[in-house]
Amino acid sequence: MALALETNRQDFQGLFTLYMIIAGVVAALVLGTMAYAIIRYRRRDGATAKEVRGLKPLEGAWIAVIAVIVVVLLVSTFRTEDRVVAISGDPAQTVRVHAFQWGWRFAYPGTGIAITGNRRRLPTLVMPAEVPVRIELTSRDVIHSFWVPELRFKRDAFPDRTTTFDLVVDPGVTTTGRCAEFCGLDHDNMDFQVVSMPQSEFERWLRSHERRSASGGAA
Amino acid sequence: MTTIAPPMPRPGPAEWLLATDHKRTAARLAVAAFGFFVASGVLALLMRSELAQPGLQIVSTDTYNQLFTMHGSGMIYLVVTPLALAVGLYFVPLQIGAADVVAPRLTAFAFWLYLGGGLTMFSGFLTSTGAGKDGWTAYYPLSGEQASPGPGMDMWIIGVALAVAAMTIVAVTILLTLIRQRAPGMDMTRLSPFSWSMFFTSTMTVTSFPVLVVAMGLLLADRNLGAVFDTPGGPATYQHLFWFYGHPVVYIMFFPFLGIVADVVATFSRRRLFGYPLLIISLFAFTGLSMSVWAHHMFATGQVNNSYYSLTSTALAIPAGVEYFDVIATMIGGVILLRTPMLFALGFLALFLIGGLTGIIVGSPPLDYHVHDSYFVVAHFHYTLFGGSLMGAFAGAYYWFPKVTGAMLREGLGKLNFALLFVGVNLTFFPMFLLGYDGMPRRVADYSPSAGFTGNNRLATIGAYVIALGIAVFVANVVVSLRSRRAAGDDPWEGQTLEWATSSPPPRLNFNGLPPIRSHAPLLDLRERAEEGKR
Repeated sequence: MALALETNRQDFQGLFTLYMIIAGVVAALVLGTMAYAIIRYRRRDGATAKEVRGLKPLEGAWIAVIAVIVVVLLVSTFRTEDRVVAISGDPAQTVRVHAFQWGWRFAYPGTGIAITGNRRRLPTLVMPAEVPVRIELTSRDVIHSFWVPELRFKRDAFPDRTTTFDLVVDPGVTTTGRCAEFCGLDHDNMDFQVVSMPQSEFERWLRSHERRSASGGAA
Repeated sequence: MTTIAPPMPRPGPAEWLLATDHKRTAARLAVAAFGFFVASGVLALLMRSELAQPGLQIVSTDTYNQLFTMHGSGMIYLVVTPLALAVGLYFVPLQIGAADVVAPRLTAFAFWLYLGGGLTMFSGFLTSTGAGKDGWTAYYPLSGEQASPGPGMDMWIIGVALAVAAMTIVAVTILLTLIRQRAPGMDMTRLSPFSWSMFFTSTMTVTSFPVLVVAMGLLLADRNLGAVFDTPGGPATYQHLFWFYGHPVVYIMFFPFLGIVADVVATFSRRRLFGYPLLIISLFAFTGLSMSVWAHHMFATGQVNNSYYSLTSTALAIPAGVEYFDVIATMIGGVILLRTPMLFALGFLALFLIGGLTGIIVGSPPLDYHVHDSYFVVAHFHYTLFGGSLMGAFAGAYYWFPKVTGAMLREGLGKLNFALLFVGVNLTFFPMFLLGYDGMPRRVADYSPSAGFTGNNRLATIGAYVIALGIAVFVANVVVSLRSRRAAGDDPWEGQTLEWATSSPPPRLNFNGLPPIRSHAPLLDLRERAEEGKR
C-alpha cells in the first residue's frame, strides 16, 4: 500500500489536540484578564470608577481574533470530516451490523458468517486492520448507536434505514464497543467486543468460520 | 425615599394564590420552580449515589431510567426555563417603568397550566409502570406505545406540553410588555441589558416552543391513535421537531442569566456597562443563529448536513466573545465590590466559559462522533446549565431578594453558599469530561468495575453532595433573613436601573413617580449629576 490510511482514531486525535490547545489559550486569557481586573480594581478608599482608554480598538481586535479562530477551526473540522465520512470505492470487507434490544448481530455478506450476542455472551466484531471496512448499520426496533470509544467514533442505528460508513483500525486492537443511544431497560448492558487483525490473518479467520457456518454450526 | 419598614402589607394566602399582579404571578412561578428544583435535585442525588460504585445498590435499572428522565425533564421544562421567565416577568416591568404587564390575567392562568403540567409529569411515579423513562428527549420509536407502554409516558407527554405551552404564554406577555408598556423616555435603545436579554429570550420562546407542543401532540397521537412517526424518516423527523425547540431553549435558559450578570457586574463595578450597543447587537446575532443550529444534536445520525450546522454553531463563538469582552471590560477601571451577587456573577463567567469552550468542541462533527451521548456531553451542558444558568440565577437571587422582600440576605451565609456551589460544581462535573472521553455513555445505571470509571464517578458523587449542602445553606439563608429581617431600603446596592427607584417591595402599580430616563442606567445618571452638583 503506497499511502497509509489514517485510522479513525488518528483523525480524531489530531483535530482534538488543535481544539484543546485553542480552548486552553482562550480560557487562560479570559480567566487571567478577569483575575487581573478583580485584583487591580478591587475597591480601595477614595477610588472612583473611570473610563480606561484603548478598550474600544482592543474589542475590534478581539473580534477579529475570534473570527480567525473560528475560520481555522472550521477549515480543520471540514477537512477531517471529509476524510472520516469518505466511502471507499473498494472496501476490503463489508459487515452488516444489526442492533436490537439488547444486543448486536455482525454479518459478513457472502460468507454465511453471522455473529449474534447479548449481555450473556458478548458478540465480537472481527475486522481486518489498516484497510477500509464498510459498515452497513441498521436497527430492528428502536434507535441505537454503534460506539467504539477506542476508535473515537460512533454512528446511530435507525430502524427505518441503513447507514453506511467506513472504519479504519490499527492491527492488534481488542476493545469494547457500546450502545451510546439510550434504548430502554438493558441499554447499559449492550456491549460488544472489537478485534482487529492483519488482513492475512483475517482471511484465515473468515475461511475457518465459513466452513463452520456451512456445516451448520454458525457462531 | 428611604424606607425603614416596607409599606406593603404581607400578602394573605388568597392573594398569594389568586392576585394577577405580575409580581405575584412571577413569585408563584419562581417558588414552584424552586420546589421542582429541589425535587429534581433529589433525583440527581439518588442517581449519583447509585453511580458511586459499580453494581446496582440502591435502585433497579428501570427506576434509574425514570430518575434521569425526570431529573432532566424537571430541570429543563419545570425549573430553569420557568425560573428564567419568572425573573423576566417580575423585573422587566420594573426596569422599563411599567405599572403591570399586558394580559396579567392570562399570565396568571399560565402559572396554573405550568403547575398542572409539572404535577402531571411527576404523578407518573404513582402509576404501576412508573414515570416517563425515555430521557428528556423521548426519541421515537423508544417513546412509542410498543417500546414504552403505560400511562406514565402519556402523563409525561401531557405534562411537557402543558408546561411548554404555559411558558409560551409568559414569553408573549413579556415580549408585548417590552414593546407596548415602556415608560415615556424609555426607548428601546435605553433598555437595561437584562431587559434586552428578556426581549431576545421571549422572541426565541415564541418562535420555538409551539413546535414542541405540536411534537408532543403528535407523539401522543402516535401512541394512542395510530402511527404518525412510524414511517421511513419518521424517527429523524421527531428529532428535528424536538431540537427545533431543544436548541433555542438552551439559549432561553442562558440569556436571562447573562443579562442578570451584565446588570450585576455593572452595578458592583460602579460603572455603566461597557460597549452597550455592540453587546445588544451580539445578542441579536446570537438569537438569529440560535434558530439555525438545532441539528448539531444530530451529527451522529448521518442524516443532516453536518458542515452547515457545524458552521452556524461554531460562529456563535463570535457574539459570545463580544459578550465576555464587554462584561470584563466593564470591570476594568471600575471600583469592584465583591459582594455575594458579584461573586456569583464571576462564578457564572468562569464556569460558563468551560461550558462554552467545550461547546465549540462538541460543535465539530468529527469530535462529536466520539463524545456525543457520552458523559463528556453531560459535563458540557451541566457547566452551561448549572455553572452558567444557575450561578446566574443565584446572582439574581442575592441581587434582587432585597427588592422583592424588603430584607437583605445574609452576606456570610451567601459567601458560604457561593463557595460550596463553586467547589461542588467543579467536583461533580469536571470528572465527567474524563469519564465521557474514556468511553462512559450517558443514561446508564451501572458500569463495569473493569472499565476504569470508578474513581471519577466517586468524585462526582462527592461533588453532588457538596452541591446539596450549598443549596441547604441557601434555604437556611432565606429562612434566617426573613425571620430576622435587616431592612434593605429602596436601593441597597447603588443600582443603575429603574427597579431601584421604587420601594422594596414595590407597590401594587410599581411606581409612585419616575426619574428622568436618558440612558440605560437612569439611576447612575442621577447619581453622577448629584456628584457634579456638589463640586
